[in-house]
Amino acid sequence: MKSRTAALLLLPGLVLLVAGFLVPSFVMLFSPPGIAPAEIFVRFGEMLTDPYDLRIIGRTVGIALIVTAICISLGFPIAYLLARSTSRWSGVLLALAIFPLLLSNVVRTFGWLVVLGSNGAIGQALVGLGIVDKAPQLLYTELAIVLGLTQLFLPLAIISCYSAVAQVDPGLDDAARGLGATRTRTFWTVVIPLSLPGIVVAATLVFAGSVTAYTTPYLLGGSGQRMLSTQLFSYSSVTIDWASASATALIMTILVFLVSGLSSLVARRGATS
Amino acid sequence: MKVRRPVASALAVAGYIVMIVPIMFVVATAFTGGETLRFPPEGVSLRWFEAALSYEPFIGALVSSLQLAVLATVLALLVGVPVTLAIYRGRIPGKGLVEGLFLSPLIVPELVVGLALYQQLMIGLKLDNFETLLIGHTVLMLPYAVRVTGASLALADPALEEAARGLGASPLRTFFTITLPLLRPGIFSAGLLSFVTSFNNVPLSLLLQSRDFRTLPVTMLDYVQQSYDPMVAAMATLILAATIVIAVIAERTVGFAKIFGGINR
Repeated sequence: MKSRTAALLLLPGLVLLVAGFLVPSFVMLFSPPGIAPAEIFVRFGEMLTDPYDLRIIGRTVGIALIVTAICISLGFPIAYLLARSTSRWSGVLLALAIFPLLLSNVVRTFGWLVVLGSNGAIGQALVGLGIVDKAPQLLYTELAIVLGLTQLFLPLAIISCYSAVAQVDPGLDDAARGLGATRTRTFWTVVIPLSLPGIVVAATLVFAGSVTAYTTPYLLGGSGQRMLSTQLFSYSSVTIDWASASATALIMTILVFLVSGLSSLVARRGATS
Repeated sequence: MKVRRPVASALAVAGYIVMIVPIMFVVATAFTGGETLRFPPEGVSLRWFEAALSYEPFIGALVSSLQLAVLATVLALLVGVPVTLAIYRGRIPGKGLVEGLFLSPLIVPELVVGLALYQQLMIGLKLDNFETLLIGHTVLMLPYAVRVTGASLALADPALEEAARGLGASPLRTFFTITLPLLRPGIFSAGLLSFVTSFNNVPLSLLLQSRDFRTLPVTMLDYVQQSYDPMVAAMATLILAATIVIAVIAERTVGFAKIFGGINR
């Protein structure tokens, strides 16, 4: 293909990307209309010291870390069992794990309202069994957000880990076992290190997704458990405070870039060692 | 599967419970005869399905969402597939950089993109909210078009195209008789992913809604905020049913795992 043809093929996409994404994002983050760029940085600095804002940043990062840890510790075993299983059910189970990715977050998250709400399944069951007199407050808590985000991102963790484990030759497991390693030791010294790149990708996707998700903290956290995303929406459409909105967006973007940069560093390290 | 790994199996069961059980509860409450989202449901009835299907805001938003998702998908493919061809078959400088650029919408938080488009395109350039939504959704779908069709183009042997050219086919004819058929599964996967992602999108659409044009997920979120009845459960169940149909079609045509494998690489 001539380079002129290639340039022509590239052109519409580049125009769309630059005009519909890069320029608007850049302008919004650093100099939204009617606001001096300095204001955003002042607000940015304030957020990193103000106790209220710090609590939201802390909650967002904390919840994202917990969700990442849970998704890896539930997702890796699922991926491992699916990749190593010879049962004909494993295809169905894999499809069941991937299927939620097609399903609306609103539908998935809405289920927790039915499960955790005061008239919901868990509350009613506890009251019915006589364990408590009044259904406990489960909705609008950090626990609810963690559960919702785990449900949302577990499928992503599973497919990333699955493609990594599937590439590890089962013969290596057998070799380690043959040399006298226990099942547990084989798992930790052979399977885990060899699938580390997939685990790193999974962790990055889950962390970045948890930091930026909106539907789940909105429905399950309410106004009491604000996260960066719900706070950003409130700054930009309720209080119309664009300096704060931009500063919040900047913090969110930095968090996501930080973790993806860090993970590609880890992945490169792993590849060379 | 023989249970020889008790810890791994227990964790796996817990994972499936978290993924699947809340969805089952949505379906169960959709069929309730009662007035509220209560569990266990009171009696069985289809009244909430009837209510959802005759609730004008939901139906209007459903039509809007479908329009937007179809248009954004078609646009993303029309713009994205040529980009893929240029990256994988053309001699362009900074190939990696260009590909990275087209994948970048996946990295920037959607809510941030939504706010940016709201400020710069809707308020700044005075585009209407449908035009802004269409641009936003298309940009967001571009990474799928480039990455997923790219994955199937990378697997296709360039020698086939060279052979066609060598036998005297014009570049255009080579594209339509050789390259396009090779790309078809990739294009189908990318289109399906784009459609589903656009149809379900909340963060990008949130700030770009207007009274006349709102998408279904955003309308449902608003409704949940105002009233706590099983109508949303019924709507959610209908979406679930439609999604299962899409999943079955995807599995029959390209294979589920393959579609999602493309973006993960």
